[in-house]
Amino acid sequence: MKPAPFVYERAGSVEEALAMLQRYEGDARLLAGGQSLVPLLNMRLLMPSAVIDVNDVPGLDEIREEGDEVAIGALTRYSRIEWSPTLVSRLPLLTETVRYVGDRQVRTRGTLGGSLAHADPTGEMPLAAIALGATVVVQSQAGRRAVPAEEFFLGPYYTVLEPEEMVVEVRFPVRRTVSAIAEHARRHGDFAVISVAAVGEPNGDGGWKSVRVALGGVADTPILAVEASALLSGTSLEPDVVARAGEMALAAADPPTDVRASADYRRHLIPIYVRRTLELLQTRRSEGAR
Amino acid sequence: MTEIVERQTEQTRKSFIGQRRTRVEDERLVRGLGRFVDDVDPPRLVHMALVRCPYPRARIVSIDASAARALPGVLEVLLPEDVLERTDPITILRPIPDAPAIMPRALADGEALYEGQPVVSVCAVSRYIAEDAAGLIEVEYEPQPFVVDVLKAIEDDAPILHEHMGTNVVVTNPRGDGDPERGFEESDVVVEDTFSINRVSGLPMETRAILADWTPGVKTLHVRASTQAPHLFRRQLAQSLRLPEADIRVTCDDVGGAFGLKLGIFAEDLLACVHSMDLGRPVKWVEDRMEFFRGATQARESVHQAKLGVSSDGLIVSYTNRYYVDAGAHNSPMGSPMLSSLMFQGPYKFPNGYVERNVVLTNKVPVGAYRGYGQPEGSFVREVLLDRAARKIEMDRLEIRRKNFIRPDDMPWQTIGGAKYDSGDYRACLDMAAETIGYEDVLLRQAEARADGRYVGVGFGCYVEMTGYPGSKFLGKHNAQYGAHEGVVVRANRSGGVDVYTGVPPIGQSTETAFGQVAATVIGLDPGNVRVFAGDTHGTPVNTGSFASRTLIAGSGAIERAGREVREKALRVAAHMLDVPVETLELEDSVITSTQGPRITFEEVALNAFYAHRMPEGELPGLEATAYYDPISNAFAYGTAAAIVEVDPESGEFTLERFLFVHDCGTQVNPLLVEGQLHGGIAQALGAALFEEIVYDQESGQLVNGSMIDYFMPTAADLPRIELGHTEVASPVTPFGVRGIGESGTIPPGAAVANALADALSPFGVDINRLPLTAEYVWRLLAAKQAAR
Repeated sequence: MKPAPFVYERAGSVEEALAMLQRYEGDARLLAGGQSLVPLLNMRLLMPSAVIDVNDVPGLDEIREEGDEVAIGALTRYSRIEWSPTLVSRLPLLTETVRYVGDRQVRTRGTLGGSLAHADPTGEMPLAAIALGATVVVQSQAGRRAVPAEEFFLGPYYTVLEPEEMVVEVRFPVRRTVSAIAEHARRHGDFAVISVAAVGEPNGDGGWKSVRVALGGVADTPILAVEASALLSGTSLEPDVVARAGEMALAAADPPTDVRASADYRRHLIPIYVRRTLELLQTRRSEGAR
Repeated sequence: MTEIVERQTEQTRKSFIGQRRTRVEDERLVRGLGRFVDDVDPPRLVHMALVRCPYPRARIVSIDASAARALPGVLEVLLPEDVLERTDPITILRPIPDAPAIMPRALADGEALYEGQPVVSVCAVSRYIAEDAAGLIEVEYEPQPFVVDVLKAIEDDAPILHEHMGTNVVVTNPRGDGDPERGFEESDVVVEDTFSINRVSGLPMETRAILADWTPGVKTLHVRASTQAPHLFRRQLAQSLRLPEADIRVTCDDVGGAFGLKLGIFAEDLLACVHSMDLGRPVKWVEDRMEFFRGATQARESVHQAKLGVSSDGLIVSYTNRYYVDAGAHNSPMGSPMLSSLMFQGPYKFPNGYVERNVVLTNKVPVGAYRGYGQPEGSFVREVLLDRAARKIEMDRLEIRRKNFIRPDDMPWQTIGGAKYDSGDYRACLDMAAETIGYEDVLLRQAEARADGRYVGVGFGCYVEMTGYPGSKFLGKHNAQYGAHEGVVVRANRSGGVDVYTGVPPIGQSTETAFGQVAATVIGLDPGNVRVFAGDTHGTPVNTGSFASRTLIAGSGAIERAGREVREKALRVAAHMLDVPVETLELEDSVITSTQGPRITFEEVALNAFYAHRMPEGELPGLEATAYYDPISNAFAYGTAAAIVEVDPESGEFTLERFLFVHDCGTQVNPLLVEGQLHGGIAQALGAALFEEIVYDQESGQLVNGSMIDYFMPTAADLPRIELGHTEVASPVTPFGVRGIGESGTIPPGAAVANALADALSPFGVDINRLPLTAEYVWRLLAAKQAAR
């Protein structure tokens, strides 16, 4: 488990990193936290010509409130997200979700941008980004573009990122929402067998609007359960509505069979976890928290 | 009659046996100052990497290593033809009775029989370059028909792994008593099922590792090995490398876990030695985790067809278990496990029994020893069936066990499997477990919970564990390539202490601490004055090693004898120096005191013994003794595990709310060490019961989850708090009354959890018949029941 030879480059700025990406013509990989990249290198599943270390790039690990958005730099470590006072109050789903990511060692090194760029279909950060309706800001020497999280992921470990592009920031809209996540994993901190995140805005009348339900581990990418979300918006999450939303989420999923669970079992769990997540949402609203 | 071990007159001096003392080993280990193979980097060190067969079975058509040889930094490439003529097959330490030995070679001989089998070996100036070179070697394989399922491997049309055998069944070992079939006819209720036990790994933190260093001038192959048995390692190396033992020195510093899989030598050990002898340079190979899952022996996988008959009043009438062990592609030095048969009876007596072991070859990584050595599998099957029978006759599960236990006054007890239990009160452990877990209260809670739509269950698993060996003569009958004894040298040093030299390496079982307590007690020193030197074949008596829960039984016997000799000589020399009769002397706390008044320190006596300036007439210089101890019988540990679970029948998810383990390992030399052994064993048992499974794809024959990413070893976060209790019945057949403790933790937990699950789900009538117990498996059981309705 030693990587094949590669050139180690260290970028001092985003511009420098982008110039290097351009120079290696798609045969370089960015090293942020290394929690996904380094095992892939060591197992020789990836053999890039160069690894560009962006850990020294300044300004990429900031958490900023900007109007009705929070912008999080791509190099922000999970542990920063976990303990950020800003995020605890403004985007509690992120701080809650981070606790499902790996172990403390992983969370100390791993980064938000790295997680999105790696695009594991079971990844918790991609799931949260979709549930929250985040926008992924990517940059190349040609400039910046903003990609909605729902459109960012194309398949397992596959995104819209062009070889010469890098994720620089993720922007999360902040509204008066309640959020919840539930996950089934084979063991603590393991990849999700299935995860469900839900976000909704409480109405004055006890109902909900703008409900978003996202699922991880049940398709090639984390997915937004579009129909289920639409159905739930404007309701009070009555049990029969929730049950129908679960069936809709199930219809939207195409789960894999792997060593963690069969597709059948994942399908079985989808309505259960949609229900649990939405029940948690209700509970939190009635508790006045989050 | 049980032979009773000779007992010294009641010790009146200070004893350190039974004391809860912190581990001597911990100071270095918790500070990261242990010394493992990879910590040693001698000058001119080079590194080995391997090309491994990527197929479950393939003929090797051709190998082109030219690009690898041309890579700068590559020092040597060994092809099969380069090593097969220079090395002999690896010997089997514990041959399977009545079975042909299928001995592994250093590299695949014409055909590779499992994914991961070494095909080519490369040595280079760094591990990086060695792996680059391995990647450049072009091997043309011709994939062959394979079989990776143990029951398919015994079918008539299965591909035969070793053609000359004509079958994949290495051996069928039957053992029985009474008339089991008639017993079933006479039974009121018969339960039977086929049980699948998962293939798992012992998973030591330190993988297999070797540093081989041939020094041509002095003709010494100095091998630093991560092994449980350095003297056996030396012997096997000498045999396979065709060297006199004198040319080989094996040292073993800290070993980062072994659990049975570091018994004997592996192909990689031979290869590293051959490279070193060719290059005259030290060669290191530290297995990485990808290799580990494709090369280190695996364990447990077996299919058990078991049947249990009971009378309506709960007596076991007949029990049979015909099982098939998936042994992988060839023998390993300690594979495959024997104790599913020997210990199949567990703690119960019954008149009719039959157990049959079938060892079956498949195109998978060879199976070896793993903590428990067949006992976890056999216990699981027996205890799960017993609960089922109890439910059928509507008898309480504690009651059925109490009715059938072998009782203390039945001892010694000769079992159908061939074991002779020395002593024990099995019911005492069960009763303590039931009381501690609050059995009656749990049943009340269970009823309340059910009314509430929740499913709570409680389960028990009982075991008897064979620890140690019943003597070297027994092993001789089984053609084992080692004895049952341990030997030590106890030698005073000139600083007032003693040095204890043992071939038992430190694999995590705290022999330095425990041996120190025994030696200090026997001689009359403080344990702080005893230093244990372990694992160097130069300077320790030829011994057996650390396995089979035998180290303390055999080792403490040897220390007792050698320590007594040292003590007695010290007293004789002291008597001469003080000019008092020896009978007036007592040695305690490093001071020898005469009832007549004079006193002298152990240090002064030792110094004089080495100077030999003032010795008694005829007394030889020095203050040391070498002693061996050969056990006279096995000691049998025993106990009960108990678990409470709550199950969500909708999802199949469940939580292990409580886990309890009550056991008896005889005299506890150090309760802290006992608890540590149990925690580790239980963690491995719950890992195997709830999480772990090495999976091979039936279609492709490929290993599906050969990395720590996909092999679900639990972490502390996944395990329950472990509650421990114990009784302490001293064994009459061992030194100090000890029973082994190293493997107990692995045996009953799986059964306890399975029985708790079945109890929780008894309204649904599910029968558990495999491991691991995952949420998906529970869901499938329930779904099948619903579909049947």
